[in-house]
Amino acid sequence: MSSLTRSFARNRSVVLAYALVVVLLVAGEIVTAGFLSPDHVDELVITSAFIALVALGQTFVILSGGIDLSIPWVLNGSAVLLTTWAHDDSLRMIWLVPVLLVVGGVIGALNGLGITLFKIPPIIMTLGMSSVVEGGLLLYTNGGSGTQAPGAAVYLATHRWGSFPVIAALWLGLLVVATIVLASTSFGRRLYATGLNKRVAAFSGVSVQAATISVYVISGVCAALAGIVLAGYVGSTYFGMGTPYLFSSVAAVAIGGASILGGTGNFIGTTAGALALAVLAALLPILGLQQSALEIVYGLVILVAVTLSSGKLGGRRAAE
Amino acid sequence: MIADTDLDHNGGPRRSRPLPSLSRGAANGDVRPIAAWVLAAAMYFVYAGLQPGTLSVGEIGTIVGTALPLAILALGEGIVILTAGVDLSVGGLLSLGTAIAATHFTSAGATAEWSVIILAIGLAAGVVNGILVGVLGLQPFIVTLATWSIYDGIALYVLPLEGGSVPTGYANWISGDVAHIPNPVIVLVVAAVVWLWFKETRVARRILAVGSDREGARMAGVSLGRTTTVAYALSGLCAAGAALFYVMLTASGDPTAGDSLILPAVAAVVIGGTSLFGGQGGFIGTIAGVLILTLVGDVVFVLHLPSYSSVLAQGLLLIIAVVLGGYLRSVQTRRKERSQ
Repeated sequence: MSSLTRSFARNRSVVLAYALVVVLLVAGEIVTAGFLSPDHVDELVITSAFIALVALGQTFVILSGGIDLSIPWVLNGSAVLLTTWAHDDSLRMIWLVPVLLVVGGVIGALNGLGITLFKIPPIIMTLGMSSVVEGGLLLYTNGGSGTQAPGAAVYLATHRWGSFPVIAALWLGLLVVATIVLASTSFGRRLYATGLNKRVAAFSGVSVQAATISVYVISGVCAALAGIVLAGYVGSTYFGMGTPYLFSSVAAVAIGGASILGGTGNFIGTTAGALALAVLAALLPILGLQQSALEIVYGLVILVAVTLSSGKLGGRRAAE
Repeated sequence: MIADTDLDHNGGPRRSRPLPSLSRGAANGDVRPIAAWVLAAAMYFVYAGLQPGTLSVGEIGTIVGTALPLAILALGEGIVILTAGVDLSVGGLLSLGTAIAATHFTSAGATAEWSVIILAIGLAAGVVNGILVGVLGLQPFIVTLATWSIYDGIALYVLPLEGGSVPTGYANWISGDVAHIPNPVIVLVVAAVVWLWFKETRVARRILAVGSDREGARMAGVSLGRTTTVAYALSGLCAAGAALFYVMLTASGDPTAGDSLILPAVAAVVIGGTSLFGGQGGFIGTIAGVLILTLVGDVVFVLHLPSYSSVLAQGLLLIIAVVLGGYLRSVQTRRKERSQ
C-alpha cells in the first residue's frame, strides 16, 4: 500500500466529511446560481463558524467518552450577560470577554467535578447543569435579555478583511491550536487514552480525573466564546438562542468521523462537519424544506454516525 | 445430544433461574421512595400553610392535574431507567403528540380516532428506539438524543408554531371529577394500580434483571434485545399518553413543549429513588418525585420568589438526588458486605 492510500484509509472518515462539503456546495450551485458566489460563501463560513466553536468543545468532551448537554445555556448565558453588562460600550469587552470565558470555564469545571468526584453520568450532570444555568440566568436578568451587542462583538462576528471573515481567522487559529494539542501534546495522548478505556488509562498513569475535568472546562469556554460572537452576529440576544447548538454540535462531531463512544476523532473532521451542516442549512430552504427537515437530518446524521462508529469498535475488538 | 449453548458454566444443562422481583427493593428497606413521599407531603403542607384555602381535595386535584403529563412521562422514563438506559426522545414525542392533537382534534369522533393514532405513533417510535438500543446495541443516550431531534423535526413539520386547538369539552375533562374525586387523581391512581400489577409480570422481572445484571439475565435466558425493546416501547407509549393530557392543560399545541420536560421526567424518576444504574426503583416513588417537582413551582409562588427559581431548583434537585442516591447505594453495599 502506498503511503497516500494508507493515509487515506486512516483518515477515511475525515476525507469523506470534506467530500460531503464539496458535494453539498456543488449541489447548491446546481440548484441555485450564485450559491458559490464569494459573498454567499462568506456567509456560509460565518454561520458554520458558530457551529464549529461549540463543536470544538463538544469534540474534546466526546473524545473523552462524555457528552455536554449544557452548551446551549452556557452559550445563551454568555451572550445575554455580554449585552447586559457591555451597555453597547466596546471598551468594556476588554474585561468582559475574559470574565465570560472564565464563567464558562467554571461551569465546565463544575460539570467535570460532578462527573469525576460524584460519579454522576455525564448526560445527567450536564442536563442538570443546563437547567441550573438557565434558571440562574433568568433569575439574574429577571427575564430581560439585554439590549444591543457591543460594536467589537459585531466586528468580530461579521467584519471581513477584504473577503476574509474575521471570525474565519479565529476559527483557523483554533483549528491549528486544537490539532497541535490533540496530535502532539501529552494532554492529547492522555485524552485519547481516557476516551478509549478509562481503566487502562488510569493503570498507565493517566489522571483520568484531570483529563475529564479539562475537557468540560474547554467545552464551557468554547460555548462562552460562541455566545459572544453569536451575540455580535445577531446584533442582540434572546432566550433560547443557544438551543439549536445542542444537536448541531453533536452532529458536527459525528459527521467529522469521531467515535461517539470516545477515543478517536479530531477537530479537522469536526470542522468539515460544521461546514457541512451550515451548507445543508442553507440548502434546505432552497429545496422548499423547513427547519423541521434540518432537525430530522441532524438526528439521522447522529444515528448513522453512531451506528458506524460502533461497528468500527466491534471490528477493532475482533481484530485484537 | 445436548447442544453446547444449552450448557451452563459447570457443563450442566441450563435451567432458567428465578428472576428477581421489583418488590425486593422495598423488602431491603430502601428509604429513598419513602423519603421522597415525606418531602412531597412536607412541601404540600408548607404550600397549604402559606396559602390559605388550599388544603382541599379540589386543590389536590389541581396539583395532580398539573403534574399528570409529567407523571405519565416519568412512568415510561422510569421503566427505561430500570434497564440502566435513558430516554431523551420522550421530549420530542410529547411535542409531536401535542402538535398532532392541536391540528387534528376537530370533533369528538376525530379526537377519539387521533388519540389512538397518537398512542400508536408513540409506541412505534419507542419500538424504533428499543431496536436501536437493544438489538443493535447502541448507546441509549446518543440514540435517543438523535431520535429526540428527529421527533422534534416531525413535530415542527406538523405544527410549525405554537397554536391549534382542542375541543373545549376535551380540555375541560382534566378539571372534572367523578363522585367528587378529581379526574386526574383517578388517572394517577389507575396508573399506579397498573404499575403494581405490571411490576409482578414476567416482562417487568426481565426488565429488572437486564438492568441489574445484564450478563446474569442473559444466562438466565432473558432476550436482551426483546426486553430492552419492550421498555423503550412502553416509554414511547407513555410519552404519547402524556401528550394527550398535556393538551388538556394548554388547550393548544406546542411543537417544542416536550423539550423542557425531559429534565423533570428524569429528575422525578431519580428523586423517587430509582437508580440511574438500573435494576432498582419503581413508579410509586416516581409519583412523589413528580409531586415534588410540581410543588416546587407552587412553593416558589407562595414564597414570592421569581418564577424562574423553579427551573434552577429542578436542576439542583436532579443533581442532589443523584449524589444522595449514589451515597445511599454505597452505604447499602457496605452494610450488605459487612453482614455477609
